[in-house]
Amino acid sequence: MRQDDVELRNRTYGLFVQLGRAPTAAETAVAIGANADDVRAGWQRLHEAHALVVDPVTGEIRMAFPFSAVPTAYRVEAGGRWWYANCAWDAFGVCAALATDGRIESSCPDCGESISVGIRDARPEDDSLCFHCLVPAASWWDDIVFT
Amino acid sequence: MNLFRSEEHASEWLGGRAPGETVPVVTLAELAAAWFGDRLAPDWSPHTREENQAILDRAGLTDAFWRLPG
Repeated sequence: MRQDDVELRNRTYGLFVQLGRAPTAAETAVAIGANADDVRAGWQRLHEAHALVVDPVTGEIRMAFPFSAVPTAYRVEAGGRWWYANCAWDAFGVCAALATDGRIESSCPDCGESISVGIRDARPEDDSLCFHCLVPAASWWDDIVFT
Repeated sequence: MNLFRSEEHASEWLGGRAPGETVPVVTLAELAAAWFGDRLAPDWSPHTREENQAILDRAGLTDAFWRLPG
């Protein structure tokens, strides 16, 4: 990965946390003193390196793991804000990335009953839940949105 | 990658599909802490495949299902 792409990635993540949502290419360009086309080109290289996920239609951020730029079934309260996570793994990852306690709000995909689990010192307060991964690790990036 | 009320609920949800892998939520929390703990570090650099595989291994996820592509 190019060093300037690492720096773009780190600034993008910083903006995501600062704004509480995904920054647009235009906002990122202003923040780093570049133009939006260069930002989109850098994001595309980062997408190809699996460092984030770009929306193929808009060229904007779709996923900055563990954060999601779009609403999902995994909402996380952490650091005084609500975030969307890409999946259950990423939901725990939001608290890990922000280095804070928090709460995950979701629902059981089987029965639809709500799931609300606090995270304290990186551990779930309810250890009766279970995590299911459908796709083998070797195929995660075949369709990362489905994964 | 979903969170279920229990292993039984995950099985019900799967129906006849290939099952994937189910792990305790405590393991998931450990995995997420190691995988994402440095994600906002100012000096972040990308994990290598070997570093990510080692994180999975340390969480006890060592079978073929959890082998990252080479």
